[in-house]
Amino acid sequence: MWSRLAYTFRETGASLKRNITLTVAAVLTSAVSLFLVGGTFLVQRGFDNLLSKWAGGVQMIVYVSPTATPDQVANIKTALESSPTVVDTSKLEYLDFTKSLAEAKRLLAADPTTFKLLNEANLPTEFKVVPKARQLNVLVELANGFSEVPKVQKVVLARDQVEQISKLRDFVQTVTVGLSVLLLIGALILIWTTIRTAMFARRREIEVMKLVGATNWFIRIPFMLEGLIQGLIGALMSCGFLLFFNRLWTNGVVKLKGDNGFIALVVSDSFLNFVMLMVLLFGMLAGAVASGVAASRFLDV
Amino acid sequence: MIRLENVTKIYNSEVTALRDATFDVAKGEFVFLVGPSGSGKSTLLRMMNRQESPEKGAVWVAGRNINEMPDSKVPHLRRNIGNIFQDYKLLLNKTVHENVAFALEVIGRPKHVIRQQVPAVLDLVGLTGKQDRFPHQLSGGEQQRVSIARAFVNRPLILLADEPTGNLDPATGEGIMRLLDRINKTGTTVVMATHDQRIVNMMRKRVIQMDRGIIVRDQARGVYE
Ligand SMILES: Nc1ncnc2c1ncn2[C@@H]1O[C@H](COP(=O)(O)OP(=O)(O)OP(=O)(O)O)[C@@H](O)[C@H]1O
Ligand SMILES: [Mg+2]
Repeated sequence: MWSRLAYTFRETGASLKRNITLTVAAVLTSAVSLFLVGGTFLVQRGFDNLLSKWAGGVQMIVYVSPTATPDQVANIKTALESSPTVVDTSKLEYLDFTKSLAEAKRLLAADPTTFKLLNEANLPTEFKVVPKARQLNVLVELANGFSEVPKVQKVVLARDQVEQISKLRDFVQTVTVGLSVLLLIGALILIWTTIRTAMFARRREIEVMKLVGATNWFIRIPFMLEGLIQGLIGALMSCGFLLFFNRLWTNGVVKLKGDNGFIALVVSDSFLNFVMLMVLLFGMLAGAVASGVAASRFLDV
Repeated sequence: MIRLENVTKIYNSEVTALRDATFDVAKGEFVFLVGPSGSGKSTLLRMMNRQESPEKGAVWVAGRNINEMPDSKVPHLRRNIGNIFQDYKLLLNKTVHENVAFALEVIGRPKHVIRQQVPAVLDLVGLTGKQDRFPHQLSGGEQQRVSIARAFVNRPLILLADEPTGNLDPATGEGIMRLLDRINKTGTTVVMATHDQRIVNMMRKRVIQMDRGIIVRDQARGVYE
């Protein structure tokens, strides 16, 4: 067992060194492609965050002052329900303090200091309103009317801002997904070529191994390990890129400040860590599988 | 030990390298395969460890039909069959010791077995003291001895030798032949393809003669021609 391990690592190391140019090319391509894969997830998450308070067709949010009593909240609800031709009452949703706080936590991932200041005395609760028909002017009128209801802090309309953002998101998604798929294919082809070259360089050894009765797995594993290491190094580099660009992005967005809500474009650290972990696992798996398939393909010589 | 039944081998659906070959090799026997170039000697040897599969007929080794064996069992079949070639097929970046140890390493033999078996087999082939040399520091005859040591270190039941003296001068070739004879006397079955008339006539072993893929003669204690 020990001698097998030693054998495997020795061969893998030697082979990586021998093919240094191809190895570097394969590693760099995997790094960039995995960075794009991870970046796609982060960007989508940012957009989803930004749009999340409008999810489910919500077009109007009525913010209720934190000082409102339960009776006053009930009044606002009755007022909203009094126009069933415009408002879809079955989808009318009230976020109480706990739910509003949860939403704020998601939106303020990049701004924990602000989030910590929130409490029952200063965080408004909200009604999410789904309109029945797309009569924008009616909705605008309605919103103006609701602003007058006691304890309503403000009324915000999605208008066409949401649609613009959604379009932008879909565009960005198409580009990043397309690019990352192309680059992933490039990375896999390079890993495949590296393995083929490595096997060609060692064809005499492989021939002898087969003749003396080494199993195909035994022959294949150093090559799979080689692919796995290439994938791993590429993935580690891509994680570095992801950390760096996420920091850049976060700083940029936080500087925008103000009440524009763009702060929600920032993703939480736990999501970033999750994406990096996935990228690492995916990089290693893809590298090992690609080289394993390549090795099997070239083993019947 | 080895049995071929009506074996026909056709390469690329056009070259018939073997036609209806049938014979038996008993355990411990020594067989010469002779015949002109291209008559199918190497093909016949490659049939015996499933480097090639026949289009028709069956090959039996140690009581098993090796063509019906699943691919996963082939490595275990080959651990019982040693191979020797005209060009030695040594690994040039490994020493004598490493070349021989390699054959045990890659089938997962433990270190202590390797430490004990490799010097023993190097002693058997007469290479004691040269274990740290690289192939380019050895004569052709010595290189062939390394390759025999590698083929024999796992004590296989069968040795397949494809023109093992083809690159050697007569005296050196004779030394290799004597070594193979000695290994044969330990009970190992040996099948050897050769063009070496002198050696075949000197040994007077069983001779199977091929011509264009057909066995034209199978003679006990035979001569080259
Ligand atoms: N891999 C292959 N693909 C196609 N044809 C082959 C292959 N190997 C051998 N042949 C053909 O099969 C026939 C027998 O070849 P083989 O190598 O078995 O002859 P041989 O008796 O060993 O010859 P030599 O004495 O020159 O080594 C030849 O016509 C050869 O061209
Ligand atoms: Mg031949």
